[in-house]
Amino acid sequence: MNAAWLPLTTLAVSLVAAGVIFLLPEDARRLRTSINLLAAVSKIILVTLMVGRVSQGFEDTFSFQIVGGVEFVLRADALGVMFAGLSSLLWLCTTIYAIGYLEGAANRKRFFGFFSLCVASTLGIALAGNLFTFLIFYEMLTLSTYPLVVHSGTAKALAAGRVYLRYTLTGGVVLLLGVVLLYSLTGDHSFASERGLSPYLNDHRGLLTLIFALLVGGLAVKAAMVPLHGWLPRAMVAPAPVSALLHAVAVVKAGAFGILRVIYDLYGIELSVALGVTTVLAIAASITIIYGSLRAIAQQELKPRLAFSTISQVSYVILGVSLFGPFGTIGALAHLLHQGLMKVTLFFCAGNYAEELGIHRIDEMDGAGKRMPLTSLAFTVGALGMIGLPPIAGFITKWYLGVGAIQAQRYWVVAVLVASSTLNAIYFLPVLHRLWFREGPAHGKGEWPNEQCLGRMETHGWLLWPAVFTAVVSLGAGLLAGLPFSPLDWATRVAVGEYLP
Amino acid sequence: MITLLLLAALLWPLCVAGSTVWQAYRTPAASRDYFPLLWISASWPALLLAFSGEVQWTIDAWMLGGYWELNTLSRPWLAFTALLWSLAAAHARGYFSAEQRKAQAGDQGAQRRCQRLALLWPLTLLGNVLLIIAQDIASFYLGFALMTFAAYALVLHSGSNEARLGARAYLALAVIGEGLILGGLLWVAGSAETLTLKGVREGIVAADDGALMALLLWLGFGVKAGVIGLHVWLPLAHPVAPAPASAVLSGAMIKAGLLGWINVLPLGVDGLSPALIQLGNIMLVAGLAAAFGAALYGVWQRHPKAVLAYSSISQMGMLTAMVAMGLAAPDVWSLILPGVVLFAAHHALAKGALFLGTSISEHMPRWPQPLLFALIALPGVSLTGALAAGMLSKWSVKSALYEMHHEGLIMLLTWAAIGTSALVSVCVWRQWQQRHSGGSDAFQWGAWLTALIAALVTPIWLPLPVGSVEVPPASEWLSLSWPFPVGVMVVVVGVLIGAGWRRHAVVQTLPAGDLWWLYSDLTLRGLRALRVIARACEKVKMASVTFSLALERTLMGHLKRGLFAEAWMRHHGSGLMMAFAVILALLLMWEGLR
Repeated sequence: MNAAWLPLTTLAVSLVAAGVIFLLPEDARRLRTSINLLAAVSKIILVTLMVGRVSQGFEDTFSFQIVGGVEFVLRADALGVMFAGLSSLLWLCTTIYAIGYLEGAANRKRFFGFFSLCVASTLGIALAGNLFTFLIFYEMLTLSTYPLVVHSGTAKALAAGRVYLRYTLTGGVVLLLGVVLLYSLTGDHSFASERGLSPYLNDHRGLLTLIFALLVGGLAVKAAMVPLHGWLPRAMVAPAPVSALLHAVAVVKAGAFGILRVIYDLYGIELSVALGVTTVLAIAASITIIYGSLRAIAQQELKPRLAFSTISQVSYVILGVSLFGPFGTIGALAHLLHQGLMKVTLFFCAGNYAEELGIHRIDEMDGAGKRMPLTSLAFTVGALGMIGLPPIAGFITKWYLGVGAIQAQRYWVVAVLVASSTLNAIYFLPVLHRLWFREGPAHGKGEWPNEQCLGRMETHGWLLWPAVFTAVVSLGAGLLAGLPFSPLDWATRVAVGEYLP
Repeated sequence: MITLLLLAALLWPLCVAGSTVWQAYRTPAASRDYFPLLWISASWPALLLAFSGEVQWTIDAWMLGGYWELNTLSRPWLAFTALLWSLAAAHARGYFSAEQRKAQAGDQGAQRRCQRLALLWPLTLLGNVLLIIAQDIASFYLGFALMTFAAYALVLHSGSNEARLGARAYLALAVIGEGLILGGLLWVAGSAETLTLKGVREGIVAADDGALMALLLWLGFGVKAGVIGLHVWLPLAHPVAPAPASAVLSGAMIKAGLLGWINVLPLGVDGLSPALIQLGNIMLVAGLAAAFGAALYGVWQRHPKAVLAYSSISQMGMLTAMVAMGLAAPDVWSLILPGVVLFAAHHALAKGALFLGTSISEHMPRWPQPLLFALIALPGVSLTGALAAGMLSKWSVKSALYEMHHEGLIMLLTWAAIGTSALVSVCVWRQWQQRHSGGSDAFQWGAWLTALIAALVTPIWLPLPVGSVEVPPASEWLSLSWPFPVGVMVVVVGVLIGAGWRRHAVVQTLPAGDLWWLYSDLTLRGLRALRVIARACEKVKMASVTFSLALERTLMGHLKRGLFAEAWMRHHGSGLMMAFAVILALLLMWEGLR
């Protein structure tokens, strides 16, 4: 029984929401909020349904022929549903947060319209069943995030937007080139092809490697791998919910997810190993991890520090994939979810500090723990998770990656992991020290840069609760990782069911 | 029932921590009691649990799969740890009463400090309890990390410059230690595919690089246990922490490093690789070096708690040497293990009593001073092995070593006891010099006296397996107790000579934290070098960016010139067409002529 309507409806929900929001007048705030929340909740319900279907062994597929040989395919397989689940859960949180964040700001219609489009494209990427569909949504994501990045309209934002477009559009062209080459070689571009590309190995080894380089090189722009990461720290001028979404799910993860698809579904892990590309990828990922951490230490402002931390953390996913083994795979897949949860928490908190107290620089954070205890607790959970301390989700992935590296006999990867943990500690612990152990304006020393007093509690409830919720989920994902349907359990299911080499 | 007790042991500290937060928001500052009976009781369920028998629990949903156990090792360990935590908490109520009064009078700084300590104390305890009962890697690592990082607040408590330095040293070393432990555990777990500590022990034996794994783990836990070279945080952190915090740091928490070794190193296993045995020898040398070096350096310290910190390093050095025997001479281990546990338990309580004693000498109750100082010195005397539990613990180690004919080590341990004795006498002497009367309350001296008694009678209450502790025969008493008077004599003679030489004595100003100053200097130099390299890299990067931009500009210039050419062609379109037509016609004509 194929429930073709399921992936289609899930995708349509956010598309329709985007359309309706664009049609509504700018000042219909209440209606827009309801539509946003309704769409987000119904998408979570639909994704939950998909999770149920996938765990029963169904693989719902919707396909539609555009021209001869080129099909538009949406497929709810385990990997895609995993990413869809992450994006729909975090969409709800980010929507709530964004509603609170943009309270009283201008151009909210444009913002929420493109926001929904952005999430629709993320979902499309998750459910895309072939390269053609993937490419459509990948480009749509690029275009729909641009208005969000330049939302504030300042010269700095516009400059950042220009850099963003230069990077991502160029990456998109390279990706397209790879897809076209692949199509000309095989005449097929489905992710779920039975034959795979291994029949071409003997005759077209060089071409296959070239195509791989083009595909992964194009995707690596969005995954912000060094040296293609330049756009990400600049894009920090975007409003906090956008940064949160960019970093946790949408853009960066779309790149990483694309690389997962290419390696697991398009090439197959054995073929990738036979081509020798995984070693190169592992080295590139390791360089990115260390370089991102080092640059993060040098940052004086909170959001750029988090941005470089993202650059470093997303490459864990790539590193896990390139390890060629069940543990590395599980670690990579679980990190896709865990990093999303933790990073979104950190960005929510950074946004809260900026909105409530006007804090942008790290040295302004002294004693903020007293003024905003829940936000600071959430930040602490996120930061400790990033370091990889138990019982937060980050530990679980670091553990699996490390074990995977040992089993793949790549001992230097463990050294990279340990070094990265230490570097993470070096740039996060001082922030925590400032939050909790230094005296600041909350103790009567000096003043906050720009205090607002947005709500009855430490800040506006719509800003506070999403951060607390994602922090609790990241804690729970680590503490109760053994439960069924936890991120780790689902990642194991994906790895064992489909990808075990 | 026992499972309920386990839940209570783990959840009760959390509830206590929660209640301090609740109180901070509900009770007005003027009537807030930061250290009520509820707060003291945080470790009581764990103490009960230790005395309730041997059990195992498996929890699949917990992290990577939870496996907790109360066995012949974890029960006594939990018993002395929880007892020390309970006594230190009771002591803390008295110790902080002055600060609490300040807080109630409206001193914001005091409120902050009390609040922070009251919140993080039970969390540190929770970590310590969890790591003792954990038998799976994830829970163990969780407990260890929680304890390590929550204890930062205990060290930092006073917030003075010295406290900040101590806390920084503590944290820097702790992060390095966590990194080493994580690396070691990952390496073993990856190669042996295991999630339990038992699996780690077996994995190290089976693996080719077992010695390297063991080395990483030894050093990683060695940060906590004060292995020589990694011990520098102890003398910096102990003098600045409040007395009850120093007591648990030195009594319970550095023992967590020791427990870590016993849990992960393949001690007493037959058929160890030569490399592992070699590692055992290295550990043995390092342990003895710490035992003697710390004594030699520590006697010059002025602060009594710094002296005690060096004494802890020295004692842990002896324990390191004993653990090393598990690798270097595996057949001894099963005999020596109960002795090691008893030694650790007795040292925990005795060192706890000594640290609590430093706060007694600073706030002396109205007791006769000779009696008071005799009591303050008593746990130290026991520590040298001259009487009571100290003698029994020394004997249980020595008899095992005698049985296996390791007389050389016994002699060295005995000599090390002279160092212990010297350190203890210096400490008491320093306390005597820096004594202050008044201000002690019943909780303070009550907890101290209880710790002292508990230390002296350790074998009676410690739940060790039956028959593992025996009283030394009378003929051995002298051989066990002679280091004490000798050590005292050494100090007395030293002081007498030193009094004459005082004017020329430079050695008296040896700073606490010895190697730390070297490390921090080296690190600063390294960072400076890194900064120079980073500057150079930045220059290269800027140059390449400028070069690329210039290249782009040149290319764009050429393109634009192309566009100009196009415009020129558009402009002269008709003329060009004419010329083209003429050329075509000429071509045709030429074709026709042939």
